Amino acid sequence: MIAAEPQMTGTPADTTPALSLQRLSRHFGATRALRDVSLDIAEGEFFTIVGPSGSGKTTLLRILAGLDRPTSGALLLRGQDVTLQPPNKRPTAMVFQSLALFDHRSVGQNVEFALKMRGVGAEARKTRALELLELVRLGADYYGRPVTQCSGGERQRVALARALASDPEILFFDEPLSALDYRLRKTLEVELRGLQRRTGRTFVYITHSLEEAMVMSDRIGIMKDGALVQVGTPSQIYDRPRDRFVARFMGEVNILEIRDGRLVELDTPLPGRADGYLVLRPEALSPTESGLPIRCTVLERFQLGSRVQLHLDTPAGLMIAEQPASCTLQAGDEATFSFDPDAAHRVSE
Amino acid sequence: MKKQLQALWLTVILVLLYVPILSVILASLANTRYMRFPHRNWSIGAYTDAFSQQETLVLHLVSLKVAALVTLLALVLATLGAMAFARYDWRGRSIYQKAVVLPIFFPQPVLGLALLLFFSALGITPSWKTAVFAHLVWILPIVTLVISIRLFGYDPAQEDAARDLGATRLQTLREVTLPHLAPGLISGGLFAFLLSWSNLPLSIFTTGADTTLPEWLFSRVATNYAPVVSAIAVIGTLASVLFGLVVLAALWMQRRAARQSSSASASISTA
Repeated sequence: MIAAEPQMTGTPADTTPALSLQRLSRHFGATRALRDVSLDIAEGEFFTIVGPSGSGKTTLLRILAGLDRPTSGALLLRGQDVTLQPPNKRPTAMVFQSLALFDHRSVGQNVEFALKMRGVGAEARKTRALELLELVRLGADYYGRPVTQCSGGERQRVALARALASDPEILFFDEPLSALDYRLRKTLEVELRGLQRRTGRTFVYITHSLEEAMVMSDRIGIMKDGALVQVGTPSQIYDRPRDRFVARFMGEVNILEIRDGRLVELDTPLPGRADGYLVLRPEALSPTESGLPIRCTVLERFQLGSRVQLHLDTPAGLMIAEQPASCTLQAGDEATFSFDPDAAHRVSE
Repeated sequence: MKKQLQALWLTVILVLLYVPILSVILASLANTRYMRFPHRNWSIGAYTDAFSQQETLVLHLVSLKVAALVTLLALVLATLGAMAFARYDWRGRSIYQKAVVLPIFFPQPVLGLALLLFFSALGITPSWKTAVFAHLVWILPIVTLVISIRLFGYDPAQEDAARDLGATRLQTLREVTLPHLAPGLISGGLFAFLLSWSNLPLSIFTTGADTTLPEWLFSRVATNYAPVVSAIAVIGTLASVLFGLVVLAALWMQRRAARQSSSASASISTA
């Protein structure tokens, strides 16, 4: 059974990283799918790799699981070099994007597969499988059911139970929730996070949805064109994106260029800030005159639950602002929005 | 009324399919060289002749050994070929895929002649072994198609998953890949066996001194007919029907065993 105690992350006694990626590169012919990725993932951490499709996330995860080998670089698992170790020798397990359930077998046979491969007897396998089905909130009556008769969410849970069966030290997830509907995804995100806390295992998760990453992760790594561009806690990355790519990836954002002490698009002086770009979150713009003012026309008004999103036609082009639902501005209204340029985060590229 | 028409239609089709076979059985029960009906004398003399001749056994053995070898080789090669098409993306894949299927479109006598010329150019004496090669040229594309349909319909990530869960390559093959391919392998194997077993045009050119069952039947019907020809044809047909029944029975028993074990485990879990 999985250890039920929560494990503290980053305790000084436990300094060997669960996984240490050392300059991993993977080339497919002329394509460089991974470029020099270096990263330490701590024991018990929930680490999420986020990036647009084609950024090399899946390639990276396949190398971590041993399903592919890097062209160069090394991978240490608890300090041991496992770069060339085949997947069946590694104490890790993966939940695949397609789930890859064995569809000619029953739920129970799927969950037991890893144990069967390890030569565990039929009785012990079954006991463990029933425990695991309980853990992922599927009842014992799912045991004999064919996986082809399970719904999307149930298949998800079967895949998770199957990966947990051998009690792996590290679990990998390759966008396992991407095919599910919004509500089910939200439920499973919370459950996954809870499971990770309860088991104290290291989870490495890939997604292209930043929202998913923010909800679950201890730390997030952002990938672009096969390289890790920024690693940090969700709030670090949200508040202090390293560049415009990360800022845009983190949600809707307004970006204004600073050149020679002026805001280029607004043609306004902005002394004391180096050249680069100002990152303005929609909530940083307010319809007051307390900061740097922008004259604009409201183009669209969208109701987002308790808040409204306004699309503004400004001298700098389309900008996006978010206000409480009490805001009375309607499409077509003239307005002045302003922001505090000193509080705004600046990136150099 | 509609139902009766339907029944009539089915009966007509069945009669048209089986009357020729039935007539061979009837012909085998005569004791005259001339096919004439009704017989003046009914006789099973043709069968006692057939069973007392060493030749009957030899003919069946040659055909059986060719068909069995063709089946085995076709299954191995077709599985590998289908894997190459379905799993890997390589240059010239689609051209190769079409080139492999091309022999099916050749009229078989032309293909047989071409192969005979090919063997003699290489200085190979034709025998039942060259016939195996000739049959493969024509049968392999068909079996490859049958198996690749099976391969295209399944997620290769299942093999990654098996490896990731601790299976060796061999275990992955046994536990995941083969069970998936099994229906394709069985139907491909049946195709291979029956197409080889009944092949005449390729065998005529490529068996050399050896004679397969269809070859012998053809030459005796053409030149030297006797009821024993019909009797051997009936025996050969029964042999392949028996083969088919054995395969079906094996499948049925396997399926029943699988159902029993899964329902047994289900009943344990509910208890």
